[in-house]
Amino acid sequence: MIRFIDVYKRFGAREILKGVSLDVDEGQILFIIGKSGAGKSVLIKHLVGLLRPDAGRIIFEGQDITRFKERDFYPLRKRCGMVFQHSTLFDSMTLIENVALPIRKHQGLSQRESLAQAAGYLEAVGMEQMASARVTDIGDGLRKRVAIARALTLSPRYMIFDEPTTALDPLSALRIDRLIRQLSDERGVTSIVISHDLRSVFSVADRVVMLYQGRVQLDGAPEDFRRSVDPIIHQFVNGLPDGPMEL
Amino acid sequence: MSGAAWRDTRATIQLGIDAARASLRAPWGGAAVYEQMYAIGNRSALFILITQGFLGAILNLQSGYQALRVLGDASMIGEQLLPLLIRQLGPTLTGLMIATRVATGIAAELGSMKVTEQIDALRMCNASPVDFLVKPRLIASIMMVPVLTILGILSAFIVGAATVYAVFGTNPRTYATFDQITLLDPIECMLKALSYGALIPIIASAAGLAARGGSEGVGEATTRAVVSASLTVILVDFLIGGALFPFRI
Repeated sequence: MIRFIDVYKRFGAREILKGVSLDVDEGQILFIIGKSGAGKSVLIKHLVGLLRPDAGRIIFEGQDITRFKERDFYPLRKRCGMVFQHSTLFDSMTLIENVALPIRKHQGLSQRESLAQAAGYLEAVGMEQMASARVTDIGDGLRKRVAIARALTLSPRYMIFDEPTTALDPLSALRIDRLIRQLSDERGVTSIVISHDLRSVFSVADRVVMLYQGRVQLDGAPEDFRRSVDPIIHQFVNGLPDGPMEL
Repeated sequence: MSGAAWRDTRATIQLGIDAARASLRAPWGGAAVYEQMYAIGNRSALFILITQGFLGAILNLQSGYQALRVLGDASMIGEQLLPLLIRQLGPTLTGLMIATRVATGIAAELGSMKVTEQIDALRMCNASPVDFLVKPRLIASIMMVPVLTILGILSAFIVGAATVYAVFGTNPRTYATFDQITLLDPIECMLKALSYGALIPIIASAAGLAARGGSEGVGEATTRAVVSASLTVILVDFLIGGALFPFRI
């Protein structure tokens, strides 16, 4: 179980998180939604130590990780796969080298052994034919699939997806939604998904949290969002130009 | 010093300490170091040869003209200029050229990786950015900057000799008089080259890793890298030259 307790984060004069508290249960698919700049990516980066909170606590599987040092996060990151917003594959490497990197680094395997394992993960996302291609040779949708293969290499118990379906065609988005569901149903993986894609939210999520102005606006099941009479949530879910939420 | 400048300086010093520690422990990252040696050394070689060659020509031309005016004889230019070229102009101008060409490249590459979250992705892969990115650049630069310095000195020397011969008719064998060169000159030259080789990639990497925002942030990081690296080259030149000065008198 993961717990964020009253987390605050500020960048210069901008206060991004203003006391966010939420729990993530085992095996759950939690979607975090909210308009751009609401602090969604900032919040989840705290979980794996890519950012540190100014105040508040973060509990990971019963362990307080708030004051962890960089080195302390290595074993934790082994249990968490992360798919970044822009896929963030390494330009200087081929696709298979990208997937092999965490295997080599986390498991201490040789380059040859890690490449052999990586081939299997590329095959799982249907990218084995392009293993030797450079990152710059493929489009966003394919990059996302390679990024997912890279994140799955260590069989993580937790997966973090930062806008996994943004800029993807509907079929590629559907494929990723199914993969997220499959990971939860078949392997019991806990997924935290940041998304603006309401179609994904209502088809895949077990639970949805909406962040607004650095705070949790609503935490509930997808149906709670559909039925919510909160004017902010109503405006967001229905994509209305007029309402309390500034455009 | 402003708060931000002090913070940047502290971050650069800390990165230098971390990278130095990382460079002293295996694995050495042979392929990555080799790649960086090519990027820093081979790809800068022509630039250094041309700039130092022209500098040699200009310096000899101006000095010869002055010598002719004052002494009526330009035959001693080589004897007077060579020690200066070895201990001062060779390493420092090569350092400044490396600061412009290599520091910008490192800061832009690492800055782009930072703003596109590739650094975060590396950390998620259990790959420390210091080990993975800074260490190979540091090792490669320490090895290649002295080589480039020697190349630059040779270029300035050869082009300088040819210029003096063409303009003043001084025989190259007369030009190549090494009597004024002492052991301290090549020592000072290598001390400076090694220091620049160590400091430039650290300063550039620190600037790149501190980049924020988008392409604007990368641009700022690149500018900061080249300004800081150039200033550091001049400062280190002064410090090493000053420290060795008592041994010359």
